[in-house]
Amino acid sequence: MIRAAALLLALAGPAAAQDFAPVYDVLSHPRCANCHVDEAGIPLWSNDDGTTRPHGMNVQAGESRMGIETLPCATCHGTQNNPLPGGAPGAPDWALPPAEMVWAARSAREICEQLKDPERNGGRTLEEVADHVVHDPLVLWGWTPGPGRDPAPGTPEETAAAILAWAEAGSTCP
Amino acid sequence: MGRLKTIARRTFLIGSAAVAGGVAFGIYAYRKPVENPLLADLPPGAATLNPYVLIDAEGVTLITPRADVGQGAVSIQTYLLAEELDVDPATIRTDFGPASGAYYNGKVAAEGMPLAAWDDGLVARTGRGAGDVIAKFLGLHLTGGSTTVPDSYDKLRAAGASARETLKEAAAQRLGVDRTALRTEDGAVIAPDGTRITYADLATEAATLDPVEAALRDPADWRWLGKPMRRTDIVAKSTGTFRYGGDLVFDGMLHATVVTNPVMGAGLTSMDTGAALAMRGVAAVLPVTDGFAVLADNTWRAMKAARAVVPVWGTATTHAATTDEMWQAHADAMTEANRDSRFADDGDVDAAPGTPLAADYRAPFLHHAPLEPANATVTYTAERTDIWTATQIPTFIRDAVAGITGQDADQVHLHNLASGGSFGHRLEDIWVRQTAEIAMQRPGTPIRMTWSREQDMAHGFLRPMALARGRGTVDAGQVRSFDLSIAAHSVGESQLGRQGLPAAGPDVAIVAAAWDAPYALPDRRVTGYRVPAGVGVSSWRSVGASHNGFFHESLMDELIHAAGADPVEERLRLIHHAPTRQVLETVADMASWDGPLGDGRGRGVAVTFAFGVPCAQVIEVSQTDAGLRLDRLWLAAEVGRVLDPVNIESQLSGGALFGLGHAIGAEITFADHRPEQSNFHDYDSLRLWQVPQVEVRALGTTGEIRGAGEPGLPAAAPALANAIFAATGTRLREMPFAKTMVFA
Amino acid sequence: MRITVDGTPHELDIEADMPLLWLLRDELGIHGPKYGCGIAQCGACTVHLDGLAVRSCQITAGEADGAEITTIEGLGTPEALHPVQQAWIEEQVAQCGYCQSGQIMQAASLLVLNPNPTDDEIDAAMSGNLCRCASYPRIRAAIRRAIQAEGA
Repeated sequence: MIRAAALLLALAGPAAAQDFAPVYDVLSHPRCANCHVDEAGIPLWSNDDGTTRPHGMNVQAGESRMGIETLPCATCHGTQNNPLPGGAPGAPDWALPPAEMVWAARSAREICEQLKDPERNGGRTLEEVADHVVHDPLVLWGWTPGPGRDPAPGTPEETAAAILAWAEAGSTCP
Repeated sequence: MGRLKTIARRTFLIGSAAVAGGVAFGIYAYRKPVENPLLADLPPGAATLNPYVLIDAEGVTLITPRADVGQGAVSIQTYLLAEELDVDPATIRTDFGPASGAYYNGKVAAEGMPLAAWDDGLVARTGRGAGDVIAKFLGLHLTGGSTTVPDSYDKLRAAGASARETLKEAAAQRLGVDRTALRTEDGAVIAPDGTRITYADLATEAATLDPVEAALRDPADWRWLGKPMRRTDIVAKSTGTFRYGGDLVFDGMLHATVVTNPVMGAGLTSMDTGAALAMRGVAAVLPVTDGFAVLADNTWRAMKAARAVVPVWGTATTHAATTDEMWQAHADAMTEANRDSRFADDGDVDAAPGTPLAADYRAPFLHHAPLEPANATVTYTAERTDIWTATQIPTFIRDAVAGITGQDADQVHLHNLASGGSFGHRLEDIWVRQTAEIAMQRPGTPIRMTWSREQDMAHGFLRPMALARGRGTVDAGQVRSFDLSIAAHSVGESQLGRQGLPAAGPDVAIVAAAWDAPYALPDRRVTGYRVPAGVGVSSWRSVGASHNGFFHESLMDELIHAAGADPVEERLRLIHHAPTRQVLETVADMASWDGPLGDGRGRGVAVTFAFGVPCAQVIEVSQTDAGLRLDRLWLAAEVGRVLDPVNIESQLSGGALFGLGHAIGAEITFADHRPEQSNFHDYDSLRLWQVPQVEVRALGTTGEIRGAGEPGLPAAAPALANAIFAATGTRLREMPFAKTMVFA
Repeated sequence: MRITVDGTPHELDIEADMPLLWLLRDELGIHGPKYGCGIAQCGACTVHLDGLAVRSCQITAGEADGAEITTIEGLGTPEALHPVQQAWIEEQVAQCGYCQSGQIMQAASLLVLNPNPTDDEIDAAMSGNLCRCASYPRIRAAIRRAIQAEGA
């Protein structure tokens, strides 16, 4: 299914296929970038005006990236979203991605280079990256983030297709 | 002094007729002892010696009529009574008692008068005395204004002493000995031969005697007062066994929640209740004023079903749509037509010599947001209505509910409870009225109504936003003149209006802690402007002083810096009130105040005088990679006699930190006529990691008795703003500061 | 669903999406955990779920199925105080007291996971718990007192 979509996208023309922009639009979106933060491990909250601020309560992901040991993410984040405005979101195994996968405040080129680098993408091929996008519950949360939060653009499938299309076209970076 | 002439021409906020009339016709009636409200519902076999002491076969129950909102009111009232009555505060039973004018608060009315607490002149003393008379006539059973201890200090000790001596007299008559031969200990009278007769045993005999008046014990002989006390509620509050209103369970009770128009007062046009009524556990969806209530067998089910009701809200509006429009209304109100007061007007600020400086300051709307969401339980029958809620205004609630149910006030029984915070919130009662409306539609069924946090946050009566225009001059290294104009809604007009009471005359709260700041300058003026009523406003911890402390001490700091003077030294030169100078000297000493720190660090100082308490604070901040960090807070205050050093420290420190949390990060803003904040994610306060090291000193060098709940707050925000200026060179003139400065 | 609370097993027929907080308060009548915000912002509802401090307003009955819960009322009692409760009493922490059930449960969890935390570690673990009265200086003091008592 994803392969077929990729093929279609590839056939649509080299200019579109090489475009990292649709992938970047998703990866740099607050639903993704707010958790893809640096080694300080302080996730971000979005304000109503589109700007971000550090997660309240001095929350830190710690070395485990699952919260400091005495205040793990799971203290507040369950396996599903709280239905109330401002409520804590939830998904299975709530945690931050590894620090080398930092996307927050990075350029399209930087994120692009990272995404291709197995050292900085969890040791994955781009095909595996695409597969990760449509199967990992925490990644999927980005498209069902609960009330009051904008979901990441498009769908997981479209994002995976965009990754594969960009990969097939040579995965050049902007 | 010009000030006194000004005051003599004025009416007082509480109503000129009440003051004049009360004094004129009231002295005889005022001196009559209050009736004992405990007699009305006295259980069989029980006896009462005065409004504060009830004795039955089980033992003694002390009546502690002032509301406990966390400030420790029950505990201190218990100790005041126990110190004279000789009962064990740790084990004695207490009760808030009924709603009754007998428990009038003689100190709170004076807070509404333009009398500087440092002023001991004839007019000021007469005015304060009139406040006591008014309060007694109005039966102001009310907690607020940091008056619990000042009002209770003599009353409760006298009640305890009188009850003790009356019990001794009963024992003396029974034993045929002289009362002076007897002593008391832990709830019993002890005869010379060691015979022990419990108070319970003596109570009915004692109740037939005329109360004995007794001298109060010498403070040197106190067992508990003046030393660190163990709060009477501390074990229950540390073990989850303390019961708040939302924890009460009644047979046959229904849980309820209320949702009202997000534009307060705009009403409900219609609603679709189909989906809600089909949900599990839902008993009914009922109309209430301005909205609807959902009744269910579980609070969460009621709240979930409330979100499934589809309301069509009314669209009438009573105030502007946006915060920006409201700021404009405040700026527009600074005209002669809206001038509310000018209690301070010395010299001629318009002709003062020196280099001029001018600056505007802003303070936002704030919500009290105590952590316990508003709740009440009401059971209505045609014969009587019972209310369980935590309130600072028992008699007002009794009368308001009687108005709703159409009953006489004596058919409405209020059972007051301790509150999970207040900060002034429990001076409101809209949720109790709503619960009474629900209960009337379900006679005989106890209705326990809990507001969701979202309902609570969006339906507050708020600390007024306030706009200040400051100007002054500096000359030859000194501050020469000071002119502060403040525009705000009137809390008195809004809050008393909700209780159907008039609020004549100027509102002292608009200029409190500014006009009476104890500074002497040749040219000094403070003017209050009343912004026409809009958003409903309320008494928030320290009321007008909560913004005026910031305005006054920021402008003063700017002038001092412009003069090139030291912020402590120049204030000491200008302050005419010895205890205020003393707290400033003390805090400077505590902080080792010694000029600028440099290296991204800064210290700021502020001193305020509110609720009769001078309070000086120094705050130290530093710049870090994560933002500005609060490192240290030193606070010195003169609360007079220190009855409980631990609680006074907690109250002063709590007031300062509460003030800092809001000064940094909280505001209620409006868009589309409704508050934009809904919960603590967008209305936050200090968290533990942001709390500086705190050092508090209560001087205790005067013999006065003052409350500590509010006076710690007003100096905190300006001390922080002044520290930030010292550290960064940026002058913050608008709260919350996080709008312009990143905090760690 | 089945759940064990403060050592007592319960079997309940309730909605899977009912938050644990309301299961405890309104179905089982355990009122120590408090409702303050409902969205994990205040921490007044904190309990231990299989030993971990969690906000009971966030955990649904479905998620708590089969779990062992300890509330403030099971941590210790007025007659048999937990060392953290004892420290809270000695330091006279509570003002209004409404947040303190949650503060104490969070502090007890902290000291299980890290018996000797630094001041920064105390601040980090406790900053999810809001105290509107700002009893914070005494919260710090009580935790330090509990550490000393445990170490003694």
